[in-house]
Order: sequence, then C-alpha cells, then structure tokens
Amino acid sequence: MIGLIQSVVLVSVLSAGLLLARMLAPYIANVYSYESRGRQDRLFLPIETAIYRLCGIKQDRVMEWKEYFTAMIVLNGLMALISFIVLIFQNSLPLDPQGFPGVRWDLALNTAMSISSNTNLQHYAGENTLSYLSQMVAIQFLQFTSAATGLAVAIAVIRGFAGKARGKQGLGNFYVDFVRSLTRILLPLSFVAALVFVYLGVPQSLNGYTPVTTIQGAQQLIKIGPVASLVSIMQLGTNGGGYYGANSAYPFQNPSQASDLLEMILMLLIPTAMPFVYGEMLGKKSRKEGISILVAAYALFMVDLAIALYPSTAIGPGMEVRFGGFAPVFWTVTTTAVTTGSVNAALSALNPLVIVSAFMGMLIQATPGGIGVGLVYMLMYVLITVFIVGLMSGRTPEYLGMKIGVRDIKLAVFGFLIHPFIVLVPTFMAYATRATSAIGLGTGSISFTEVLYEFTSAAANNGSDFLGSAANTVFFNVSTAIVMWTGRFVPIAVMLAIAGSMYSRDRGPTNGAGLKTDSLTFALVLFATILIVVVLTFFPFLALGPLLEFLRGHVNGF
Amino acid sequence: MDPETRGQGEMEDEERWQLSTVLRDSVLRLNPVRLISNPVMFVVELTFFIVAVMATFPGAFYPVAHASEQTFYAEVAFLLFLTVWFSTLSDALAEAQAGNTAKSLRKLESTVMAKKIVAGQKGKGGTAAETVVLTPSTELCKGDIVIIEKNDVVPTDAEVIEGIAMIDESLLTGESAAVRKASGDTLIGGSKVVSDVLKARITVNPEESFINQMIKLVESSKRPKTPNEQALTIMLIGLTAIFTIIVLSLLGLSIELGLGVDLSVLIALYVCLLPTTIGALLPAIGISGISRLYARKIVAKSGRAIETAGDVDTIMLDKTGTITVGNRRAVQFIPFEGHTERELAEASFLASWGDDTPEGRSIIDLAYQMGFLPHEVRSLSGLSYYEFSAVSRTSGTHMSEGSQSFHPKSGKILEQRGRPKRKFLDAEKPDLKIDDTDIIKGAPDAMKAGMNSIPAEFDSITNSVSSAGDTAIAVARNREALGIIRLKDVLKTGMRERINALKSMSIKPIMITGDHPVTAKSIAREVGIDDFVPQAKPEDKYRKVIEERDQHRIVAMIGDGSNDAPALAIADVGLAMNSGTAAAKEAANMVDLESDPSKIIDAVMVGKQLLMTRGAVTTFSIANDVAKYFAIVPVMFATIPALHALNILNLGVHTAVLSALIFNAIVIPLLIPLAMRGVSFRPASAMSLFLKNAVTYGIGGVFIPFAGIKLIDIALGLIIGR
Amino acid sequence: MIEGGFETVKLKEIALTGARLAILSALVCGLVFPVVITGIAQIAMPYQANGQIVYVNGKPIGSAIIAQSFTSPLFFHPRNNSASGVDPDITLNSAYSQVSRINVSTHIPVASLKAIISSNVMWTYWIAGTPYVSVLKLNMVLMEKYPQIYSAFVS
Repeated sequence: MIGLIQSVVLVSVLSAGLLLARMLAPYIANVYSYESRGRQDRLFLPIETAIYRLCGIKQDRVMEWKEYFTAMIVLNGLMALISFIVLIFQNSLPLDPQGFPGVRWDLALNTAMSISSNTNLQHYAGENTLSYLSQMVAIQFLQFTSAATGLAVAIAVIRGFAGKARGKQGLGNFYVDFVRSLTRILLPLSFVAALVFVYLGVPQSLNGYTPVTTIQGAQQLIKIGPVASLVSIMQLGTNGGGYYGANSAYPFQNPSQASDLLEMILMLLIPTAMPFVYGEMLGKKSRKEGISILVAAYALFMVDLAIALYPSTAIGPGMEVRFGGFAPVFWTVTTTAVTTGSVNAALSALNPLVIVSAFMGMLIQATPGGIGVGLVYMLMYVLITVFIVGLMSGRTPEYLGMKIGVRDIKLAVFGFLIHPFIVLVPTFMAYATRATSAIGLGTGSISFTEVLYEFTSAAANNGSDFLGSAANTVFFNVSTAIVMWTGRFVPIAVMLAIAGSMYSRDRGPTNGAGLKTDSLTFALVLFATILIVVVLTFFPFLALGPLLEFLRGHVNGF
Repeated sequence: MDPETRGQGEMEDEERWQLSTVLRDSVLRLNPVRLISNPVMFVVELTFFIVAVMATFPGAFYPVAHASEQTFYAEVAFLLFLTVWFSTLSDALAEAQAGNTAKSLRKLESTVMAKKIVAGQKGKGGTAAETVVLTPSTELCKGDIVIIEKNDVVPTDAEVIEGIAMIDESLLTGESAAVRKASGDTLIGGSKVVSDVLKARITVNPEESFINQMIKLVESSKRPKTPNEQALTIMLIGLTAIFTIIVLSLLGLSIELGLGVDLSVLIALYVCLLPTTIGALLPAIGISGISRLYARKIVAKSGRAIETAGDVDTIMLDKTGTITVGNRRAVQFIPFEGHTERELAEASFLASWGDDTPEGRSIIDLAYQMGFLPHEVRSLSGLSYYEFSAVSRTSGTHMSEGSQSFHPKSGKILEQRGRPKRKFLDAEKPDLKIDDTDIIKGAPDAMKAGMNSIPAEFDSITNSVSSAGDTAIAVARNREALGIIRLKDVLKTGMRERINALKSMSIKPIMITGDHPVTAKSIAREVGIDDFVPQAKPEDKYRKVIEERDQHRIVAMIGDGSNDAPALAIADVGLAMNSGTAAAKEAANMVDLESDPSKIIDAVMVGKQLLMTRGAVTTFSIANDVAKYFAIVPVMFATIPALHALNILNLGVHTAVLSALIFNAIVIPLLIPLAMRGVSFRPASAMSLFLKNAVTYGIGGVFIPFAGIKLIDIALGLIIGR
Repeated sequence: MIEGGFETVKLKEIALTGARLAILSALVCGLVFPVVITGIAQIAMPYQANGQIVYVNGKPIGSAIIAQSFTSPLFFHPRNNSASGVDPDITLNSAYSQVSRINVSTHIPVASLKAIISSNVMWTYWIAGTPYVSVLKLNMVLMEKYPQIYSAFVS
C-alpha cells in the first residue's frame, strides 16, 4: 500500500506522461503525413533528401506490405550484423580504452539480436564487457534503429487501418518512415534528453575510466563513458539496455530522483502518444478509436500497479537508497508495461506480487507497450476482441466499418498464439536440456520464476531479467536470441499483412450500426478480454512461480 | 384432409421419428472421422481415448498417471465421453429439426407425374396434334409445357400461360384459402389445383427450384460453412492450439520440476479450458437459424444469406403492398359550399356503385360506415355506369327515371354491389333525359372541364388535400360540383412500429413509390421513413440499390416482378415473393412463401438473432474459463500446499476436477434450447443489444460457473461422501 | 507516386539500399550523435560529464555519486547489498546506527556526529519519503572537521 506522497507522485508522473504524449501526438502524426508538413520540412527535408540520395532510396515508392516487411527485416538484419561484428572485434577496433577483449560469438549474437529487436536482454555487464565503440555502435545505434523500426511499423499498420480514404500512399515507404522516425523524432528528443541527463549527473565522456585512490587508499575505477547519450534513447525508445549491468540502479545511469522521473516519463512518452497518433491518423470522425484503446491500455496498467503496490513498498536490500522502496515498484511495473526492461533495483529485491505484475505487462505487451509495437499488439487484441464479442451486437464483427474476415482472424490468431509458444516451449527446453542446472538453477519456484521470466521477457521484447550475466551460456544466448526475433518480427509480419489487406478494403458506414469500438464500453470489454484470454492463460505458470512465492509469504523471494 | 388434423398427425409422427433417430444419429456422429470437422470436439474425443486407456491399463502411463486412481480415471473418461456425446446430441437434434423442415419441403417436391404436352407426330389426318405424355416431375426441364387439371399437384415451379384456376398453396404458406391464378402468374411446385385447368410453362430445371436449394441447405452434408462460421472455427482452433501448448508445457514442466501432476487432471483442465460449449453448439446454432427462418415461412437459399440479413444497413421497401395496404382509401367527404356532407356522401356512394376498384369500394364503405346511404336510389336495375377511361379520367353512374324502390336497410346492398347487369355508357357523350341523373367522380382537373360552374373553393380544397399527400376526387351531380372525397394511403397495421424497430437497429429504410413526391413524402413522414424515391420506375430500384452499395452499405430489397430481378440479384439480401415471377425468385436469395413483403424485417431479425446467439455462446464459453482455472489449478498442484489458497471456491480435493468437468459437460445440453431458439431479441440499437448480451453472457459467463461448479461440488461431496 | 509490385523490386536492391542505410545510421546514431553530445557535455558540463570526481588535496579520491569502500571503524560505512553495488547513500537510520561505533573509535561526541548527519540529510522529496545521507559526504565532513583524527587518510 502506498502513502499520500507516493500516490501524488504516481498520479503526477502518469498525468505528465499523458499530457506530454497528447501534446506530442499531432507532431508525430504530422511527421508521417504525406501532405505538406510545412515548417518541419524546411528543417529536416534537406537532411533527409541527402540521406535518400546517399542510400539510393526512392522516397516516392509505395510499398505493399510484403515489400515493407522485407525492407524492414533486411535492414534490421544488416544492422544487427554490424553490431555483431563490432562486438566480436571490439578489441581490434578503436575506442576500447579499457582494453576489453572481443565478445564471444554467442553473446555477441544474443546482444545484436537483443538490441535490434528492441528487447535489450543483457547477458553481460556493459561496464565490464563492452568498449566505448561497442556501447555506441553496437548498442546505442541499434537502440535508435529498433525504436525507429517500431515507429515505422506502427505507422504502416495505422495507414492500413485508416485506409485509402485517408491517404493514397498505401502502407507507405519503410525507408522514409524509418529515416523520418530518426531525424524528426528520436534524434531531436534524445538530443535534448541526453543533455538534461548530463546536467543531472549522467557522465558523457570518451576518456577512459578514471582511476582514483579512495580515502582508505584502495584503487577504484570510476566507470564513465558515453552514458547520457545512451540512456536517453534507451528510455525514449523503450529499449532498456543499460550502460551498466545494474542498469538504472547504477548511480551514473540514474543519479537522482529527478533523473529517475525523467527516465520514467521518457519511456512512457511515445507508447502513450501512439493511441493518440492512431486517432489522429484515422481522421476526425474516428479520433475516439485511439482513446478507447488508450483507456483499455491504461486500465490494464492500473491493474498492474494495483497488484504491485498491494504489498508494502518499504526499502529493502537490492534497492537504491536514493529511490526508496516505492520508486522501484512503480518503475518495474512501468518498464514492463511499456516493455522497456530497464530496472532501477534488482528484480530479486521486489515482492513476488510486483513480479506477477511485471509478468502481466510482458504477457500483454500493450499497456501501452513498446514503442510502436505496443499499439500494433493492441490492434491485434482489438481485432480478436471485436471478433469474439462483436457478434453479440447482432452483426458480423466489424472494425472501422470493415468486416473481419477469415484471413484476418487466421493471421491475428496466429500472431496471438506465437507468444505462449515462444515463452513456454523454451522454458520447458531449458529444464529438459539441463541448461538450468548448468547455471545453478534448481526446480523450485524461485528458479522457475527466473527461467520463465527470462523467456517471457525475451518474447515480449522487454529485456529485464533475473539471470543477467548468469545466463551467458550458449543455450540461453542462442535460445533467447531466437525467441526475441520471433517475438519481435512474426507479430509485426502478421499485423502488416492484415493492415495491407485492410488498406484497400471497402468501409461500410460507421453510423453505430454495429459495435461501437470508440466507446467506453468497448474499452472495458477489450480490457476484460485481454485479462481473460491473454493473462489468465498463463495462470498455472504464474501459480507455480511468483504467485506461489507470494502465497508462501515471501516478501522478496528471489 | 383438414389441415389441422394433418398437422397433429405429422407432429406425432415426427416425435416418434425423432427420439430414436436423434439418439442413433448422435451416437453415429461420435465416429472420430465424422467428428474431425469439429476440431474442438475431436480433440476432446482424443483425450477421452487417452483417459479411457488410463482407466483400463492403469500402469500404461506411469509416472504421469497413477494406478491407484483407476476409479477416478473411469469417472473422468465417462465425463469426457458425455461432453462429446452432448455435442453430437445437439448436432443431431438440430439436424432432426432441420430434417423436418427438409421433409416438409420435400413433400412439396415429391415426384409427381406431370402431364407434359409434346408436339405430336403427324396425326392420321396429317395435322400435327399435341399429345400429353405422363412425365415424372424430376424429368421436366425449363420451357416444357404441362397441363394441370383439377386435383393435380403442380409438378415444379411454372408460369401459367393459359387458363384460370384456383390453387391451394396451403402446404407452402399455411394459408388455407385457395388463390386464383391466371395467365402470367407463377405456380409453385407442390401446390395443388383445386378447380379448373391450366396450361403452364416450366420455369426451372430439376434440382434448381428454390425448394430444392433449401433442401440442400438444410441437409448438413451439403451445407457449406458460412464465412462467419469459418472464421469462428479458426478462432476456436487457435484457442485450442494455445491451450494445447499450455497443457503440454505444464505436462513437461511437471515432469521436469517433479510436480507430480496427474495426466488425467491435466486433461481435465485442458478440456475445461477448450471452448467446448461453443464448439459443441456451433453447428446447431447455424442449422437452427435456417429452421427459425422457415418457421416464418421464409426460405433461404444459403446460410450466408441469413447472416447477411443480420448485417443489413439499408432496406428498400415498396410503398404499395409493403408499407401501405396497397390501395388508397376514402377517409373524408369535403362538401363545397351549399352542399351537405350527406349529399356529397350519398352522391359519392352512387358514383362508385359501378366502380369495382379498391378505391371505389372504399368510398362506398366510408359512406356506409358514416350512415350516409342514398335513399333516392330507385332501382338497381335502373342504373347504368360510365366506366373509367384514361381519356376522361372520370367514372360514374347514370340513373334513369322509373326505377324500382329500394330500401337499403341491411348491409346486403354492399354484397350486391357490382352484381346488377351493368350497362356501360360512353362517358364522353352523356345521353341525359330530363329526369335522369348523372353522378360523375374523377380527378379534380379532369372534372373541372365538365362543370357548369366551378365553386370558389374547388382549387383550395383540392390543393390542401393533395399537399397533405392525399388524393382528391371531385364528385359532381349533373355537372354541378358537390365536393371532394379525400383518399388516403393507409399504413399496414404495425408498420410504423416495424419501421421504428428498423431505425432503432440503425437500419435505413428507403421507400420506393410511383407516387408524386408530395404524396410520397407524406406517407414517408407518417410511417417514419426519411429517405424515399418518388415517381420511381422499375429501373430506379436497381439504381438505388447500386447507389447504396457504392456507399458500402449492405442492402436488402424485396421484389416480385421480373423487372425487379436485376435489383434482387445485386442486393445483398433479395427477398422474392412466392407469388412473384420465376425470374425474381431465381435472382433472390430468399423467398417468402406467404408473399408478405414486410417480412424482410423478420429475415433481418432472424439473421441478427443467429449472429447474436453465436457470439453469446462464444463469449460465455470463453468467460467460463476463469472459474475453471480456479477450480482445477489448486488441486492440480496438490503437492504444493501453499497453492491451496487459490482454491477460492473451497472445493473438495477429490471432487473439484469432477465438478468442473461435470459443469463443462452439462452446460452443453443446458444451452441446446438457447442454441435452437436463439437468444432473446428485441429490436434495439447494436450497442444496447451488445450491452445486454455482454452482461448476460460475458459477466454471467464469468460468475455462473463459479456457482455451478460449487453446487456440483457440494452435491458430489454428499453423494460420494469423499 | 511510383506504382510497382514487390516482384519488380529485386531483393538485391533492397539489400543494397539496406546496407547503405545501415552503415549511414550506424555512423549517425552510433558515432555522430554520442560524439556531439560528448562535445557539448565536456564543454558545458565537464563536472557531471566526467563523473563528478571529488578531489582531496588536488588528488581524485572518487566520484561523489559512486560508493567507495569504507571499512575503517572511523568512518561511516556504505551498504554492502545494494542493486548497483555502488550505492553512495545510506538511510538516516543506518547512519544513526553507526554513530556509537564511530564515537567509540574516534571519541567524536555523539551529538556532533548526529549534528553532522542531520545537517547533511537529503530528503527523498518526490518518491521514497525516506531521508538519506551520502556516505562519502559524511566522511569528508568528518575528515574536514577532525583532521587530526583522520590524518592518516589524508595523503
């Protein structure tokens, strides 16, 4: 239970996030508009035109969904490859003042696929493993591009849902959406945020670690580096991969409460803005469609918070004194709700109910979910919900005036069942192959929670984990790498395919003849359906893990 | 046979037929090969086989199943069997119901020997004679000519080309009164000629008649899944796949983590989580929709048509015959100055005496009801009439001197109307004697020409009547204008309410009429329709359907004439009247046997109810899972005492699984009546329908199983005592 | 607007464009961006940018916000289990609980120690509601106020 001050903090952070998101949304929508973007263009267009020319991008080319997806997956694959190469050869490359050796292949593979899939599962402690170049070119670079990819995909999906009446450009051009995401949204916002972080005490330096002799005469390395520039995008882009192994618990990554609040608001910002962007891009008449999605997402977020804040939030071991006991709980719920995955306390320090709540965020992936993809997931849930309950209005289920057909359901259900598959099967495999006992994990509920969390986090592209560098084994590196890319790109492919067919589909009258998807009622039904169909499905597994820990009365059992 | 007696006999027959057949059919349907088309139930049957093996060979599945639990396995196996059987039972019941429909339809289609006319070989006299050849109705082809005599059954759909006869269509429509059919009218296969002889041209090839199409539809083996059923089936397969992943992972983890979960309990959880309720009832819901429509005497050619009817956005309604009773009716006599209402009414009565049109009759009816009977009527035999002609646009009565006295004290006069031998006069050249009286009525502008003087208020009254959307008929006696009769379109009873019902469901009614815009507007306003097409030509209907479809609205329309066929064909839902032409019926995807155009609304309702029932049972089925998790998961991990806290229902450790399974099985037969009857439905907006169903089947679906499982658990505890 | 099916676009072209875009983004996001931020930060906020190094007698002894090991009974000790392992702060209660030990080993009056603590409290205004103090700061105040006691540590 929380006190008055904490309630005020909670409400203000969420309101600030909502308010800023609402203010940002029209700008974001405008960025991807194919009509004149006025002043924006005067600043950015020349830069972008140069980029298009350099890369041979035909910016007027309209891509149908297969091409959009192919362009996206190829680009992401190549970028992951760059990251992989930099990691492996970091010792032979510049900017390695600490002289770290090259990263082992499986960890490099895991890291490249982890960051490129916006997961940022970290089986390494950055400050002891990665050179400055790796931090910048293998990690930070992919944190920008995976966020840009998420945004581009969401915009393409929105264009499909909005249909040809709202724009003649199909799903758009992936390269253009990707470049604009970087030039007009992510780079400018990160630029400002990074400088604020420096001001608040986050280092930004390319000089090596500073050796000092402490007061008691011991040798200490003050591990600085290009931290602020990374922290800004890792939060804004819901990446979560920290500069340090301890992530945002490390004082240099999160020096004060002010930086903590800024990091929270940064990770909430774009995911919260996306439903507004959706409404904006659907057009005036359908603006409320975004609101009902946002209401459902935040209602689920509130349930997560209520569960997590039910136990005491006193400060305990594994938490940072400057944040107290409440901030880690609020952070953990938030970081899983937007699938960022950064942490500001050790997960094992938290009450099992907080972990239950974290699981919920990662299972749903849309409360409001990761950058771009959170909305995409929510739209998948919307289709499934409309289909299940829509019939009860006495009409064939329809969304935005479009009948939901056999192909839509086929795809949505496929995208939907991928998640339990890539969470549960690898969890079983980890035990069956004894990969768990190899790193000292037993069969108890604590170990089980840690393994289940590992794959849930990987599948949800969240990235927070219990195991950390303990999971730096070939099995965990390779299995989670596969899970992360599957969990990232299969649902994206599915939703792009649906959006592609929706783009040119005829739309019937949306005069309230069917289920009103922009109503509060629908938001509630969506909320309930997600709880029953998505979360409850994992009930037996949660019962064997964190829920069991809670029932056993453990305050922080992990 | 008296129709009522026949009905009773049939019912008894059917009941006997059903009990044994349904049971046998339900068992036959357990065949896994047949069941595979219902993936959910197929999976349940598979699990039954597994648990049955466990019960029979308790050691076979060690260590995931324990020999000591043999009785329990047998119980679980039995319940799994029940679950599957309840599902096949519901199928069998619905099929039997549909079978009855098919049977009664088939009765109409049963092969009869038709008298086919063939051009004979050259006769002995050298002339080509027509000969009649007895041909089975199944061999008749489109274009064949048949002769149908008294007591013959019409072999298949045909069009009268010669003769007039009375036809009994009671088998089709339930309407016992015979109808008169003449050249150009349509005959439905299965109806019966009760008088006279007809020559008719066959309009369909065998197997093409809509009755045949209907039979095909209700016979399940030939019934394709509708798109909506397909999508729902995919959703159910998806859910099944998810639960399969979950249960298999649980099984694997149970082994790896040493949880000792019993396989049969896991299977119980699996089956309880599967959407068995909707899986079991989905086919029945679809079939019963067809049966429900047929109960309203509407024949659908496809299941898809019924669902589409539920989605209709726009309904095109013909004014005449659908919205109004068909003809205008006199409602008021408005005398000109210097004349009384009685004077006008009596003159109108006489003027209409020879007028056999519905309008004419309504004038007489009105005068009679108001008590204005013309006492000066001298003689029925002394009357002669001016017939309506397109040139004069007037009609009337000529009374000559010396008629017999006539006392119209009873209503008999009305029956005699039209009977007297009529002598038609040329209205253009009235042959008036001094004592003779001429009473003429007609369109005001046509009447004006022949008047001696035109009263000052002639135009103003006429205008006020027509601006109200009504029709004015002027009446004159011996060229002296007496007044105006107001004729009004009369709405069918309950039409306003039905239009309101449509509008409450956000369906836009469009009225199609040949009337002048002013008249059309008045009727439209009266009945509550906002959109109408006045002075419509047949092709306007087609154009309007296209127009609506271009706005991506789902259009329903009604038609009977051949010129309606194109519009019927492109409309999403086309309801043809049984009395209509063969072309119309061919183009439509539904046929109303009773030829009542307003029944398109019934079709919409049945469609909506069908979709709602499907959604309600699906939602209920999925919402049920909440309680089932809480019933089974705590006892599934019996080795972990801390998890007993999740046993919020406080179920018995040994009975919880059985209780959940029993609930899961028993809910199927309990919902069969709902599946067959459909969820209760009153026209309302989509959102209020949705809300009502979401509360009943969604929220109810979450809580009912908690109560149900707890009650069963208490009962089991008492019975088994363990 | 150029219309064209996916089939008409060679996968090779996608790969080529992708490669160029990948390299360019790596340069912009991975090098240019952090280098520019570093430049600005080093010029405008060198203290923060370089990790808030604290100097004693001109020698760097650590970072103001990174815990360093204090094991001598003369000093306040940091926590040894915290998430980052370098948590620079301890709660007020933890600080007070160390007062008697420091008093015994240094003979600095308890009241003075308590006064030092209370004058250096940092309130967790927004989030935690738990007052805390920085260990390094307390110890540096001690060294400043009682140079003779801590002379061994000032090199």
